[in-house]
Amino acid sequence: MPMEGIKRGDTALEARGITKRYPGVVANDHIDFEIKAGEVHAILGENGAGKTTLMNILFGLVQPDEGEIYVYSEKVNFRSPLDAIDLGIGMVHQNRKLIPAHSVIENIILGHPRAGNILNLKRTGEEITELCDKYGYKIDLKAKVWQLSEGEKQVVEILKALYRGAKILILDEPTSALAPPETKKLLASIKAMTRDELAIIPFITHKLPIVLTVSERVTVLRRGKITARLATAGATEESLAKEMVGREVIFRLERVEVEKGKPILQVENLSALNDKRFLALKGVSFSVHEGEIFGIAGVSGNGQQVLAEVLAGLRKAEGGKVLLDGINITHSSSLERWQMGVGYIPSERVEVGSIGDFSLVENVAMNYYFDDDFAKHGIMDHKKLRKLTQEFISEYDVAAPSPNTTAKSLSGGNLQKLILARVISRKPRLLIANLPTQGLDVGATEFVQNKLIQAKKEKAGILLISEDLDEILSLSDWVAPIYEGELMGIFPGGEAKRENIGAMMAGLKQKVEVI
Amino acid sequence: MWDFHVRSLDASTILTIAALSELIGQRAGILNVGIEGVMLFGATLGFIAAKITGSYLLGFLVAIAIGGLIGLLHGFFSITLGGDQVVNGMGIWILGFGLTAYIGYPYTGPLGMERIPKIMGLSPFFFVGIALIIITWFVLSKTSLGLRIRSVGENPSVAEVSGINVTRTRYLSVITSGMLMGFAGAIYSLDYNPVWNYNFIMGWGFIALALVFFSMWNPFILLGGSILFGSLWQLSLNPQLVLPGILSRYVWRMVPFAMTIIVLLLMSTKWFRIRWGAAKPEALGQPYVKG
Amino acid sequence: MKLGNYEVKLEKRLELTAWEAATISILAIFVALALVSFIFLQAGVNPLTGYKEIFTYAFANPFGLPLTINRSIFLLLCTCAFIIPIRAGLWNIGMAGQLYVGALAAFAVAFAFGAKESHSLDLSPGIVIPLMMVAAALGGAAIGAIAGFLKGRFNTNEIVVTMMLNFITFWLVPFMIKEGGLFMGASGEGEGFKLSSSIYAPLIMGVPFTIFIALGLAVLLYFLFAKTKIGYQIKAYGLSPAAAKYAGISSFKIPLLVFIMGGAIAGLAGYHYFAAVPGVYKITKNYGDFGDLAFYGIICGLISQGNPLAAIPFALLFGGLTNGGRFVQGKLKLGFGIDYALLGVLMIILVAFQFFYRYKIVWMKTEKEK
Repeated sequence: MPMEGIKRGDTALEARGITKRYPGVVANDHIDFEIKAGEVHAILGENGAGKTTLMNILFGLVQPDEGEIYVYSEKVNFRSPLDAIDLGIGMVHQNRKLIPAHSVIENIILGHPRAGNILNLKRTGEEITELCDKYGYKIDLKAKVWQLSEGEKQVVEILKALYRGAKILILDEPTSALAPPETKKLLASIKAMTRDELAIIPFITHKLPIVLTVSERVTVLRRGKITARLATAGATEESLAKEMVGREVIFRLERVEVEKGKPILQVENLSALNDKRFLALKGVSFSVHEGEIFGIAGVSGNGQQVLAEVLAGLRKAEGGKVLLDGINITHSSSLERWQMGVGYIPSERVEVGSIGDFSLVENVAMNYYFDDDFAKHGIMDHKKLRKLTQEFISEYDVAAPSPNTTAKSLSGGNLQKLILARVISRKPRLLIANLPTQGLDVGATEFVQNKLIQAKKEKAGILLISEDLDEILSLSDWVAPIYEGELMGIFPGGEAKRENIGAMMAGLKQKVEVI
Repeated sequence: MWDFHVRSLDASTILTIAALSELIGQRAGILNVGIEGVMLFGATLGFIAAKITGSYLLGFLVAIAIGGLIGLLHGFFSITLGGDQVVNGMGIWILGFGLTAYIGYPYTGPLGMERIPKIMGLSPFFFVGIALIIITWFVLSKTSLGLRIRSVGENPSVAEVSGINVTRTRYLSVITSGMLMGFAGAIYSLDYNPVWNYNFIMGWGFIALALVFFSMWNPFILLGGSILFGSLWQLSLNPQLVLPGILSRYVWRMVPFAMTIIVLLLMSTKWFRIRWGAAKPEALGQPYVKG
Repeated sequence: MKLGNYEVKLEKRLELTAWEAATISILAIFVALALVSFIFLQAGVNPLTGYKEIFTYAFANPFGLPLTINRSIFLLLCTCAFIIPIRAGLWNIGMAGQLYVGALAAFAVAFAFGAKESHSLDLSPGIVIPLMMVAAALGGAAIGAIAGFLKGRFNTNEIVVTMMLNFITFWLVPFMIKEGGLFMGASGEGEGFKLSSSIYAPLIMGVPFTIFIALGLAVLLYFLFAKTKIGYQIKAYGLSPAAAKYAGISSFKIPLLVFIMGGAIAGLAGYHYFAAVPGVYKITKNYGDFGDLAFYGIICGLISQGNPLAAIPFALLFGGLTNGGRFVQGKLKLGFGIDYALLGVLMIILVAFQFFYRYKIVWMKTEKEK
C-alpha cells in the first residue's frame, strides 16, 4: 500500500474554484472543497445540485471549465479517470461499475497495471485476501459478480479501489442500495479505513442520518453552489435538510384515511422466474382493497420487480393465482389487463415506460391506442390524442415545449409525470407503482406521492413498490417487507416499526405470519 | 470414403477460422453480420493476387490485408462513428457481394496453379485452424489482453473507468477479426476450391455467424460445430457417397442451410437459453459513447 | 475544428426533418455515383459520357424505358417487402427467397390449369391471373412467415434465417425447373415452362398492370404507418420491444405479421418479373440475377428511411441505373457487373452517411479576440 509518508491531517485533496457550465446551466459554480487524510467529508445535495458533476470532475471523467485540483498539495490535471486512479483516487459507484459475468478477482484486477500479460490469479488472490482481513470483508473471490448481493458488490468495488492503491475514496450514495445491517458493516469498514489515513468522500442525497453518523464535516450543495460547510458535531437532520433544499421540509406526509372497500387484487401463492431463470418469487400471497395503498419494501433484486411484471402480465407466473375483482387473470395478456383496469408504472421509465423517439402524443398513445375511442376501426384519432396530451402537460405541469417533442428530450421528472398522467388518467382499478419516485428531486417526488394519494381517494387499489422505507411507511396502509422472493410479513402501516421492517428487508428476522 | 472425410475437414477448417474471427470481434462487443462480405473480399482479391503474381504467399497476404482493412472500416463505422452495427455489417456484406462480383468477373474460372501440398493428406490450414482455436482460447481466458477484450465486450463503460482504452481494444479485435475473415476467404479460393465464380462463398459467412451464436462464444464448441457443418456441406455436395440415389442433388444442396435453421432453433430450448444468456457478451452490438 | 474565422462542430440531431433526410440521401447517391465513375475512368471513358449514356438509355430510349419501368416495379415491391419488417426493427434480407417461391406458386396455378401442356391453351385470364397473384403472395408470405414465426416465438436471428431461406429456395427453383422437374420447360434447357399467351398479364400502354399494384401498395403502406393502429404497434415494437410489450403489443404477433406482409409483397415481385413482364413469362435460367437485384430493395428502403412514398423515386432511379448500367457495359466495353459494383458502393456510402442522420455539421463564426 502506498501509504508511506502520509500523516494524519495532511490535506489529501483540495479543489479550488471548480466551475463547469453546460448549455443553459452552471452545474458547478466556483466550488471549493478540501479533505484531510483520515477524515470523512460528506457532500450533500439534491438531485440536480451538481453533485454528479463535481464527483465526475474529481474522478477525471469530466474536465472543469475553470478551477484547480490539488492532490497532496500537488496540482493535477486529469484527462481521464486513469489519471485520477494513478494518483490514488478511487471511486465506488452507485450503479456498480462491475462486470457481472466476470469473477470477483477478474473484476478487481481488470485494468490493473501489475496484472501482467498472463494472469497470475493465485498471487493476486493472496494479496486481496490480505486486504479483506484488514478491513473485515468476507467475499468469495471466485464467485461471479452477478451472484453477489448489492452489499457484496460494493465490497468488490471498494476492494478494487484499494487494490489499485487508493488513498482517497469517493463513495457515490454508499448506502442507497444496502439493507440496514449491510450499512452497519460498511460504516465499520469506513472507520477502519480512516484509521489507515484514507480520506473518504461520500456523496449523499437523502440519507441524512448516515451523513451525521459517518462524517466529520459536510459540504452542502444547492444549484451548483456551496450553501454550507459545517462540522457534523453541531448539525441536525433538519438543519442539513434546510441547507440542502433552501426551505423547511415536511418529512412526513399526511396519511389519508379512506374507507376500506372490496378486495381488488388477490394474489395467492404466486411464484415466478427471473431473467436468469431462477425462482425469484416464491409463493407470495396478499390482497389489495379499494382505497388502500399496499407497500412492498425491499432492497432491489429481492423479487419485487418480478412481482410487478407478473402482475402487469409481462412475465409468466410459474405457479399460483392472481385475481382481479374476483376474476382469475393469471394467464391474461398484458393488453387484457390494461383493458380490465390494471395500470402499471414501471421502474424503468426510459427503457420500458416510454419510447424516446416517439413524440409525447405517441407516448400517450401507448396506453390508449387499444381504446375504441382513440382508434376507431383501426384508425388512430391523432387529434383526440393530441388534445389529451395537451391536457396532461398542463395538468401535471410537464415541462415540454409542445406535444410533438420527442420523449427523449424530457428530463426524468417530467417523463415520470407524463407516464403517471397517462396511467392514472385511465382510472385504473389497480395501480402498480414500481419505484415511482426513484431518482426524482424533492419537488417531483412530492408531486408523485400526492398523485398516488389522490388515486387512493378515488378508490383505486395501489400496490406501491419502493426501496425508500420512509416513503413506504408514510404512504402505505399495509407494509410488506420482501426478502429473496418472499414476503416476510404484512403489517398495518400506522403501527409498523421502522427497525423491524428494516431488519426484515435484510432477511435478519424470521418470517412472521400476521394476517 | 477417406477422401470424403479429408474434404470435410478442409471445409470445416474454413468455417472454423471464419467463425473464430467473428467470435473474437463479438467478444469485444462488435457484431459483424457482414462476415460473408469480408470473406468474399479476401477470397476474390487473394485469388487475383495469386493468379497475377503466381505466389500463394502473396495471395494470402493480400487477403489478410484486405480483411484487416474491411475490419478497420467496420470499426470506424461502429466504434468511431458509433453507428448501428447491424446496418454497418449489412453494408459490408453488400459491398463485398457487389464489388467482388465486378472485380473478380474477368478472372472467372480456375486458378491454374499447382495445388498447395498436403500434410498427411490434409490441408495444412487444418492444422493452422486447430492452432488458432487453442491460441484464441488461451488469450481470451488466461491473459490480461483477453480479460480486457472480454471486458469491453461485457461492459465498455466499466472497462473505461478501470483504465482500459475501449476504443483501442475494440479496434484491435475488429481488425484481427477482419484479417482472419479475409484469411478464411482465401483458404476457400486458393486451397479448398480454387475456381473463381461470383458470390462463391455461398452463405458460409452466415453459417459461421450462426455457429458463433451456437458455440456460446466457446472456441472448442465452435470447432465441434464447424466440423459438423463442414461434413454436412461435403455430404450435400456428394450425397452418393453415403446415401446413393436418394433425392435430387438440388434437394441435398438445401440441407446445410436447413440444418443451420434447426441449430438456431435448438438454441431456443430452455437448456440452451440459460447458458446462452450467461455467456453472451452483454454489450454485443451496442455502440459505446464515452462518458 | 477551426477553419479561418469559422468553427466547425458536430452536433447531435434531436430531430431529422424529411427535407434534411432527403438531402442526405441525395448527397449519398451523388457520392456513390462519383466513386463508381472510377470504373469509367479505368476503361478510358469520360464518366459524364458514361452516365449520360446510362440515363439516356434508361429514361429516354424506346427499348430502355420499358425495361427500366419493369425493373422499377420489381424494385418498389422488393423495397416495400423490406420496409415493413424494418419499421419493426427486423431485417428481411430474404426477399430473394420469398420472390422465388412466389414465382413458383404462381406457376403452380398455371400448371394446375394445364398451361405446361400447351402454349396456346385458351385459359380464362379473369380467373387464372388473380389466382396466380394470390398464390404468389401466399407463397412469399409462407416463406416470410417462417422467419417471422421463429423470431416471434423463439427470438431466432432473422438475418441468418432469411438468408438461409434464400439459399434453400435458390436450390428449390432448379429442383422444380431443371433435370426433369415438374415445371421444366419443353426445350429442356433448364428453364421453366412458358405461360399460355392467354394468361399474360394485361398491359396498359405497354406496361404490366402490376405497376398499379406496386404504387397502390406504397400508398397503402404509407397510410398504414401514418394512421393505423397496426402501423403504430409495428413502429412501437421497432423502436423499443420492451416498451411495446409494456403497452400490451404482442412480441409474437408483430414479427409474424410484418414478415407475412413483407413476404407476400416479395411474392408479388416474383409474380411480376416472371409472369407479367413482356418477353419473359417463364422462370428463366438466370433467375438468380433477380434475387440479387432484390438486394437493391434494402438500399432503397434504407435510403427512404422506411417511407414507402419516398421509396418510389428511388426505385425508379435504381431501376434506371441498373438497367442502363447493363446496357453501357456492353456498349462502352466496360467490365461485366457495373450494377453489382454500384450496389456495393451505394450501400456502403449509405451506411457511412447514416452518421449524418444522427449528427449535423454546424458552422459557427468565431468571435474575434478582443
